[in-house]
Amino acid sequence: MASDSSPGNTNDGPSSPGENASSPIGNTYSSPSSLRSRRRARSSTPSQFATPSRLGASNSTPSAARSNRGNVPATPSHTDEAPPSSDDGGEDGADDTTPTFVWGTNISVQDVKSAIEMFVKHFREAKESSDDLFREGKYMASIRKVIEIEGEWIDVDAYDVFDYDPDLYNKMVRYPLEVLAIFDIVLMDIVSSINRLFEKHVQVRIFNLRTSTSMRNLNPSDIEKMISLKGMIIRSSSIIPEIREAVFRCLVCGYFSDPIIVDRGKISEPPTCLKQECLAKNSMTLVHNRCRFADKQIVRLQETPDEIPEGGTPHTVSLLLHDKLVDNGKPGDRIEVTGIYRAMTVRIGPAHRTVKSVFKTYIDCLHIKKASKTRMAAEDPMDVDNSLRRVDEDVELDEEKLKKFEELSKQPDIYEKLARSLAPNIWELDDVKKGLLCQLFGGNALNLASGANFRGDINILLVGDPGTSKSQLLQYIHKLSPRGIYTSGRGSSAVGLTAYVAKDPETGETVLESGALVLSDRGICCIDEFDKMSDSARSMLHEVMEQQTVSIAKAGIIASLNARTSVLACANPSGSRYNPRLSVIENIHLPPTLLSRFDLIYLILDKPDEQTDRRLAKHIVALHFENAESAQEEALDITTLTSYVSYARKNIHPKLSDEAAEELTRGYVELRKAGKFAGSSKKVITATPRQIESLIRLSEALARMRFSEWVEKHDVEEAFRLLRVAMQQSATDHATGTIDMDLINTGVSASERMRRDILVSSIRDITLEKMQIGGSAMRLSELLEELKKHGGNINTEIHLHDVRKAVGTLASEGFLVSEGDRIKRI
Amino acid sequence: MGGPAYDCLTNPSGAVRFSFANALSSGYDPASSHGKDWGVVDLFRHYFSDESAISQVPILDSSSIKWVQPNTLVRFRGMIQDMLGNEFYAGAYKDDATWRTNKYSDVSQFPTGSSSDMQVWERRLLYCVPVPGQNQWTECSSAELKNRFLELTGQNREKRVRVDEEMTDSMDSNTLEAGLNGSPFKKLKAEEATSSASESQVPRTDGAPQRSVLPPATSAESLPCLVKVYDSPESDLKLNEVVEFLGVLTFDPNTMMDMDSPDDNTDAFSEAESVQMPSGKVPRLHCLIHRKLETQHFLHGSPLLTELKSPQMFREIRDSLMKYLTGLLGNDHIAAELLLLHLLSKVHGRVDNVAVGKLSLNLTHLNKESMSIFGTQLRNALKSLLPFTQSIPLTIEYLNTASLGPKKDYGTNRLVPGVLQVADGTHLILDETELQPGTLNSVGVENANLLKNLLECQKVEYDFQYYKMEMATDAQMLIFSEGKSNIMPADMVVPFQPSQVNPMQVITPETAQAWRCYLATCKSLSHSIGQELQQVLENDLVAARQTDRSLGSQDLSRLLTMARMMSVSYGEATLSLEHWQMVLELERLRKERLN
Repeated sequence: MASDSSPGNTNDGPSSPGENASSPIGNTYSSPSSLRSRRRARSSTPSQFATPSRLGASNSTPSAARSNRGNVPATPSHTDEAPPSSDDGGEDGADDTTPTFVWGTNISVQDVKSAIEMFVKHFREAKESSDDLFREGKYMASIRKVIEIEGEWIDVDAYDVFDYDPDLYNKMVRYPLEVLAIFDIVLMDIVSSINRLFEKHVQVRIFNLRTSTSMRNLNPSDIEKMISLKGMIIRSSSIIPEIREAVFRCLVCGYFSDPIIVDRGKISEPPTCLKQECLAKNSMTLVHNRCRFADKQIVRLQETPDEIPEGGTPHTVSLLLHDKLVDNGKPGDRIEVTGIYRAMTVRIGPAHRTVKSVFKTYIDCLHIKKASKTRMAAEDPMDVDNSLRRVDEDVELDEEKLKKFEELSKQPDIYEKLARSLAPNIWELDDVKKGLLCQLFGGNALNLASGANFRGDINILLVGDPGTSKSQLLQYIHKLSPRGIYTSGRGSSAVGLTAYVAKDPETGETVLESGALVLSDRGICCIDEFDKMSDSARSMLHEVMEQQTVSIAKAGIIASLNARTSVLACANPSGSRYNPRLSVIENIHLPPTLLSRFDLIYLILDKPDEQTDRRLAKHIVALHFENAESAQEEALDITTLTSYVSYARKNIHPKLSDEAAEELTRGYVELRKAGKFAGSSKKVITATPRQIESLIRLSEALARMRFSEWVEKHDVEEAFRLLRVAMQQSATDHATGTIDMDLINTGVSASERMRRDILVSSIRDITLEKMQIGGSAMRLSELLEELKKHGGNINTEIHLHDVRKAVGTLASEGFLVSEGDRIKRI
Repeated sequence: MGGPAYDCLTNPSGAVRFSFANALSSGYDPASSHGKDWGVVDLFRHYFSDESAISQVPILDSSSIKWVQPNTLVRFRGMIQDMLGNEFYAGAYKDDATWRTNKYSDVSQFPTGSSSDMQVWERRLLYCVPVPGQNQWTECSSAELKNRFLELTGQNREKRVRVDEEMTDSMDSNTLEAGLNGSPFKKLKAEEATSSASESQVPRTDGAPQRSVLPPATSAESLPCLVKVYDSPESDLKLNEVVEFLGVLTFDPNTMMDMDSPDDNTDAFSEAESVQMPSGKVPRLHCLIHRKLETQHFLHGSPLLTELKSPQMFREIRDSLMKYLTGLLGNDHIAAELLLLHLLSKVHGRVDNVAVGKLSLNLTHLNKESMSIFGTQLRNALKSLLPFTQSIPLTIEYLNTASLGPKKDYGTNRLVPGVLQVADGTHLILDETELQPGTLNSVGVENANLLKNLLECQKVEYDFQYYKMEMATDAQMLIFSEGKSNIMPADMVVPFQPSQVNPMQVITPETAQAWRCYLATCKSLSHSIGQELQQVLENDLVAARQTDRSLGSQDLSRLLTMARMMSVSYGEATLSLEHWQMVLELERLRKERLN
């Protein structure tokens, strides 16, 4: 079909006038605009557009179109409009015999019309075509639906058009005004053939073009073409009523004229009364409430931040919305617009006929798609993780990208590579980064039929010396994560983190306001300065971190809010610098109940290590004296990383393989056994059931990184390694050097407890030996001396604070009293 | 190419038309060219290939606007403050059988739209303002040019009206040449001429709304300019760049008519630029050629530029400048040395959030009294040494009220400048000595954050209402404070210890020129490091870190920046051991003072 408009031919559009000398192209703008008239309702060219619009033609109301239907298909396009100049008379005369062409092109109107008819009637989606050929096509069905609900438009997916007839698609994009007008006519024909009494105009709305233009790349060659672009609405005008049909009344005799239709943005007031008996001159006056108006709105669209090149400001473009499209978006919405790019001349003043040499451009909208709305519709926000990243929120993954990801995921070193790409400017801390990567990918949340559910989110605590770039890591993760909330412990209150009840100042009703944790549902809540948080605020976290809900019971509101968030917290050791002589718990100074809820606790200690220092020095020297960019290793850029992560989170749900499960059991048992070492009879709890959950989550996250549907054995091994690395730092008993989960859970290790017991008993011995009941007091330092002398069963160094603690225990037993620095036996 | 048949200076439009006609005859097809250049740029570039030819062109500013003629060639030096997007215009049209062009002009010379064939081309609109904080010495005196210009037209100032008439006539002959009906054009010209004449008589003191849009930093005398750029790739001109545009000056009479009779139809569609920017206030410049300006360009024909080659020269000027700075700082040698390094710093690389090469300085132990002595002197000295300087008083009131960050106003579709929208290389003085205890409101907190972010990352967040965008900025920041500033954590903190108050030193213009030139040259020097020294540096850094665990990567980075500055201050392109040790010594002295 339409063989005469092969790609080569379609090229000589209005932009290259040289070839078609016979067709009067006029200027580029006037030519299509005369054809625009066929797009009935859409052809509402606002009056200030100086382009010679020929709106008179739009009196081809549905009925007119219908009546024309019997004739040669081309008639509706030409019969009802007079040629703008005598030039085209020759072409017009050929009405019935030779095919009619769209102006300035060699697109045959008939061909296009039949192509559209074929498309509408016969298009079937690929998947349904096979099973029943006799079912109605997709668009026939939607036409019937439109008739049923008395709708005014049908949406046509441009992809469907392309699939069915690429040639039609090309024509439609290149000459949208003409082709869409024919499309409308075809639709009306079909509609009236189904239901003769259907009165409304049915328009076609094209969406989902194959190519989307960026606002920056719009250029003069796009004028009068169909384009699609994305952007954000920044301003919308109020709704402007635009007159379509005017009714006049004679002041003399009261005769009402027939509706007069807007022509070229103007209404010609009848100079005389149209009634034969009256014919009074200049007596006609407009009757407002019998005129017909249509809605119009002008909206400004701005580029989304990710399209703006470095050192540029965002571009904007005006949109013209009509009828139903009006108020379809409000400022702040991200939308995808399909429309026709138009340019209009600017008149110097209303009274001047001269025009400036400058054009104002705008987009005549055909279709608006709200980016956020479609996303909500596509996914159930409650169950599916719509973790589209903040950086590029509505980047939909096209196939090319997907392929790239697949390739990436196949790389053997993808895990290392991802870890490298994470916060590349933060030096070292590779294992911490790997842990954070696991947190980003997350495990699978599990909801059992019994109602029990297991969280998939991984919580991480970073404890470390000041200046070890913890906060930078936090900031980085915050920037990367969906709905990340960043709070500082010092500035957060309990209600600020969870939710609070407030009285609405206007209605007096109590309303629930979400706090940071609730707001970061499905995201990562980053809490800096965790140690400086008030206790009451911290205690709120218990529920969030395991049950993943926030329960509120106050002011008559009892509610449980979802807070399925990963917590990434960082804290300084209690004495601002890590004191290796104190236990980890004493250093971290956090309640053990809370600590056990963190899957990974990293101790980031600034150990004087020459090797690391040297690498750091090298890095910095390279930064300064070489090309700064080349100093970076090969890594993924942040946008790739984020979309990789979000794709994985959304689409990959790995399961445990048997092998992995076995390894998990074996490792866990080993971990539990690890407490028994060197024939020691001490019972040390090394791992808790919480740890095995953590391990499962971690190995799931690791599998996700590879886009693997199965958790393999090596994932589990790596999870164990991560846990061990984190734990070795955080749960090393400095006395014994083994992993000791007791340390995390109670704050005191078994051996430490033993040592303390020994200390207490020896102090008891000493006091029994040296002091009388009610006798003279003894200084603690003296006691320490005694203890050192005593030696015996205490083989490690004793510090004053150990003694003080032991004394405290004895005092609570009522064995002695301590007054400041002195103790007395009772 | 032979002698030009037109005068590029006074009749650039004629030159454009002439070359267009030439290009047409040699096969240039406007219909398929998309407005690509047909040789005009080369023509002008050739004409203005050397500095002396460029200096013939008057610079457009608030004083010269009174006498420069529309449709002549002017230069505009300014910072790109906002980008107003692209504009489509009728680039070429067929008049009977010949193509005509509208490129480099505002108004279609063919008034009615009756031409049968028209090509739409596009151009970029840039809103430029004089560089914020630009110092006096950078402006060239245009007095002599003015005289020359008036000589050129054979008229003088008193016969103003006649000048205009003559101009109009000459324009008419041009238009007639082009085979057009000149009368409407002539009328426009006349109107324009009178308007520009009246413009020159009325001092610009009227409180137009547009005035309030301007940043407080730029003086009321500053003259913005709407530059229309052709054939330039987008990546070529960026926001906040300091550029010199050479092109055709036009006043757009149409927009003035818009003002007379506001057209309610154009409300939402018109970009509002014509409403906000009446051409009487904002001249239009159709850019033919442009170049980015470095500090060197502001040093008018300094012979030193070429002389400043030998290390000996560098050392001499460095010594004299150091002497001056030391004197200014009450003989505090260390502070002066650090100040010099600070003045030479610039960001020369960015890796993620780290701006390599920044070196902010915080002089502590200053109070109000000493500020009034040293601070003022220093401020004036810097003004005479650096092209762009600004000072920001850090008072509660200022922080709470000032708009530091630029903000997009969607009502006018313009970027409202903030104080921190500065050109690269701007020097900022932040005076914290006046800070009193008080409460910061939300604006104040935001402003403080902006400043801190600028100090730490050399980035300023631009507020686009629906989102924020970080713009890389390169500003040298000098902070005066009583104690170590916590709001503004600078790279180098040094307690200021003056030993005496020196009287104001008088410097000759030549010395000042030499110093400016020295600073500019040093700043632009490239720098590298030898393999062996790299090893030494690494060892030293490791050793420093082993002894003092509190040294973070930032401190090490600062040491290297200081080393680089030290080296370039002697005009050397590679770091030497001697300079590295000087830096270590300087750092030791600084540390000593802190304790």
